[in-house]
Amino acid sequence: MENIQSQSYQNRYYKPISSLTKSAMDIDISAPSNSEPQVELLAALMLKVANQRDRAAFGYLFTYFMPKIRAFGLQRLNQQGLAMDLVQETMTSVWTKAHLYNADKGSVATWVFTIMRNQCFDMLRRVQHNKEDAFGDDIWPLCDTVAMNQETQIDHKFTAKLLKHLDDLPLAQRQVVQGIYMQELTQQELADALEVPIGTIKSRLRLGLEKLKSFLETPND
Amino acid sequence: MIKHHPDQDLLFAHAKGELSLSMAIAISAHCALCEACKTAVAQYTQEAADLAFNQHEIDDTTADNIDISANDISLMQSALPDELQTMLAQILCQPELATAPSNEPILVSVKNQHYSVPSVFRQHLDRPWQQLGKVSRMRFTLNEMNTRASLLHIEALGEIPQHTHKGNELTLLLAGEFSDINGNYVPGDFIMLDGHTKHAPKTLKGCLCYIVLDAPLHFTKGLSKLLNPIGELIY
Repeated sequence: MENIQSQSYQNRYYKPISSLTKSAMDIDISAPSNSEPQVELLAALMLKVANQRDRAAFGYLFTYFMPKIRAFGLQRLNQQGLAMDLVQETMTSVWTKAHLYNADKGSVATWVFTIMRNQCFDMLRRVQHNKEDAFGDDIWPLCDTVAMNQETQIDHKFTAKLLKHLDDLPLAQRQVVQGIYMQELTQQELADALEVPIGTIKSRLRLGLEKLKSFLETPND
Repeated sequence: MIKHHPDQDLLFAHAKGELSLSMAIAISAHCALCEACKTAVAQYTQEAADLAFNQHEIDDTTADNIDISANDISLMQSALPDELQTMLAQILCQPELATAPSNEPILVSVKNQHYSVPSVFRQHLDRPWQQLGKVSRMRFTLNEMNTRASLLHIEALGEIPQHTHKGNELTLLLAGEFSDINGNYVPGDFIMLDGHTKHAPKTLKGCLCYIVLDAPLHFTKGLSKLLNPIGELIY
């Protein structure tokens, strides 16, 4: 693979798949050497959008990616109107989810591609099945997932054990524990729903968790 | 230790977004359990992004001004046609999304057993469990013609009668363990069988799997033949 013209950053992408598969396990996914001014510029603009909601910077990203997304859309969706929908949907997500971009995980182009691919996947299903599905972002999460290692597996077994004791809690504490851990509500959302101060939520949660812990510590055989 | 992985072609197709929903779910769930394949997909995604974004440059006249500096920003924007100016203005009206999506694993309960499964199953778990002895199945509604995708739960000491398949059968073990004549499997194992392989999986401690079938199962062993219609019911 070394014989391809030069070792410039661009060429690393034109390796045949076979070389990739061989090295897939020990690939260095850290950011490519930033000798490429384009990559640097895009990253700088993206940071401006993420941190300052910079409209001019976004305007540049829009102008840069628009024709690329349209071309991809035409190829996949085979219709000018749908291709422009893909541009709009993708760039809207780039704008509204900019704060989820993590420069350590990859280039701006890869991030925009990810959003576009996810959106296109859902649009294709809409065209083919007439379903208002939105599964793309579940399949390819936009922010990094932590792989479920042994520790989280055990953690979840533990959670399951804990949940068995939920019914033994007083109602007020059970509501809070269920709300936070099963419905994934924030403490503020729970406070609003139950019409109590957030401090009350915090103390109910603490009391509830302590009680659950005590259930586990009691030998039950 | 996960021994069975999707092959590299499948991972690359997944990164490009070319797989069907049922298979994309399978690869995504495998990657949530397997750091090596997750890293490989990240790398393939980078490659797919480059393929998608750079191959059109030559045909596309608007992309001519790619090598510009930040100074040209305002100049480029004012060159946008009206319809795109409008789109850009519409987008800029949108507020930042407050919440980041959750990737936390999800708890699934069946027959008083509790398992955690990758978040990719989030929108598919509202179906009822159908139970038959030690076997329970939750069939997804993915609308993919003959392809069927389900969660399958086998209770401790349960097994499925020996069978072959009309098409390919994919089994992704999500929790617990099972074994067949080829060995034992651990969570994350991604097992692809073709229509010629006979197998009779059994589990000592119980297991939860994600299964994708091209075609209904057909049992091949003795009395179980009578149970053939159940092949459709189980998976």
